[in-house]
Amino acid sequence: MSSGSSEVSEAQGLKVVDAFDLDDELRAILKPGDMIRDGQGRRHRLPRYFYEIPSHEAALGTRLSAHFGINEFMLSDLKEAQRLQQYPRYVPCAIRILAFYLEQYRTACGASVHIAVNGGYRSPSHKLSVNATPHMWGTAADVYRIGSTILKSKEAIEKYNDIAEDVSEEVKVLPYGHATGKNADDHVHVDLGYITLIPREISEDRMEQPQESRPRFAFEDRRRKERRSAEAEPEQD
Amino acid sequence: MTAKSHHGEERLPIPPAKDSVAASEVSLYRNVLKIKRDHDLENLGISFYDAETTIQWAYNADHYFHAASTMKLAVLLGVFRQVDRNDLALDAPVHVRNRFTSIVNQEPFMLDLGRDADPDVYGHLGKTLTIRELAFWMITKSSNLATNLLVDVIGIHTIQLALDELEIDGVRVLRGVEDSRAFETGLNNEVTANGLLKMLRLIADGKAYSQQACDDMLEIMLEQQYRSGIPAGLPKAARVAHKTGNISTVHHDAGIVFLEDRKPYVLVILTQFKPEHGRGTAVADVSRDIFNTLAGSVYE
Repeated sequence: MSSGSSEVSEAQGLKVVDAFDLDDELRAILKPGDMIRDGQGRRHRLPRYFYEIPSHEAALGTRLSAHFGINEFMLSDLKEAQRLQQYPRYVPCAIRILAFYLEQYRTACGASVHIAVNGGYRSPSHKLSVNATPHMWGTAADVYRIGSTILKSKEAIEKYNDIAEDVSEEVKVLPYGHATGKNADDHVHVDLGYITLIPREISEDRMEQPQESRPRFAFEDRRRKERRSAEAEPEQD
Repeated sequence: MTAKSHHGEERLPIPPAKDSVAASEVSLYRNVLKIKRDHDLENLGISFYDAETTIQWAYNADHYFHAASTMKLAVLLGVFRQVDRNDLALDAPVHVRNRFTSIVNQEPFMLDLGRDADPDVYGHLGKTLTIRELAFWMITKSSNLATNLLVDVIGIHTIQLALDELEIDGVRVLRGVEDSRAFETGLNNEVTANGLLKMLRLIADGKAYSQQACDDMLEIMLEQQYRSGIPAGLPKAARVAHKTGNISTVHHDAGIVFLEDRKPYVLVILTQFKPEHGRGTAVADVSRDIFNTLAGSVYE
């Protein structure tokens, strides 16, 4: 948990980046705007706007809420893409919403809430990112410990699942069980669904502007080609 | 060296002239049989190579035993294969999580935290340890959790690939630890004394991928904390880079013995017994015997 230092900066102090402006390697890892399927085959569009965290110190010093630092949502191991383990690092802007709900959860639990490694934001290139999950939107957390309770028993997980569901109807949990992706047996999974946050300082008109002769981003190029090919096809009766 | 009577019992060869190498070998053989009998062992496998004298000696050394934790040497080898190829960094973080997948039905299983008392690793549940730290705890305290985490990182395939690349026969690694479904269906890791000897000789000679990799592996193995096997039969000054293996019916030890003013010797001792007998001191007794033989003293 964050120390509560007076020198910490707020999330608003972080630079917001449009992932289409990042270099080729990062765009390939973060896949902004790509559509991917979840376990039920439903398609979801990956987030485009990210906070850029320039250094380890900034990660440690940036609070998203009273008790959650941004570093807690970035804990990953070698399953994450190598490039994303180096600074500057990137986290979807919706992470702020997750922190807000986790803060309510913490209050309801009456104890500290600890997010597991690989349990916060996971990029689409993370080895656990097989299907779309809200982790890839920064809107899910795997909590492995609450207070001094390590969440590994049915009783503990069900108890804290119930508390999470009582926080808000937006909060979804995974029931206790052993089926990967459908259940949880060593953590409480809390997610808010596929929320994309567009910071207020962002102007959304860029994607809607008439395309220049040479599109700036590969994604825009692909969309333009798709649109043109759709226009060229004769309509079916 | 072994001979069998028409009843199938092993009988001793005719003693050669005293003070010859052959005499030492026969003496050693007699003592090994005595240890086997005294400890009521169901099976005993020994393989030994002395770099100082180049003497090599073996007893039942191609017989396959349940590997128990000696399989962790193969995991260590697989890890350093990946490190040497720059496919893995020793300081890379690994999420410490007690959740693994059976090789039989892909169902998840957890390790029994009570059986594997290694708070050094369990204390990090939910957090990370580095590859180097996991390798250290896997060998020095035989951490099952560290082992399974490393197997997950590099994959069983990589471990077998490393064994094949180095032409190590006699070590079969099919799975991680405590996969009870696999155990029930007879899918177990197995080793022979000769197989482990080959692996340890490569490490001792700096030929397992690179000198740096071998130095790193030796450094970890020298920190072994379970010393009731090979080290218990040696003078206190001896340094042993080794790995033990224990389950209810086997007790093994495989190591490289460093003594002052001589080249090291490599020794593998595998024992199997009835569960009601317990492991006893057979491994230490064999280790003492071999040390005494090398030192030229007579075993009493």
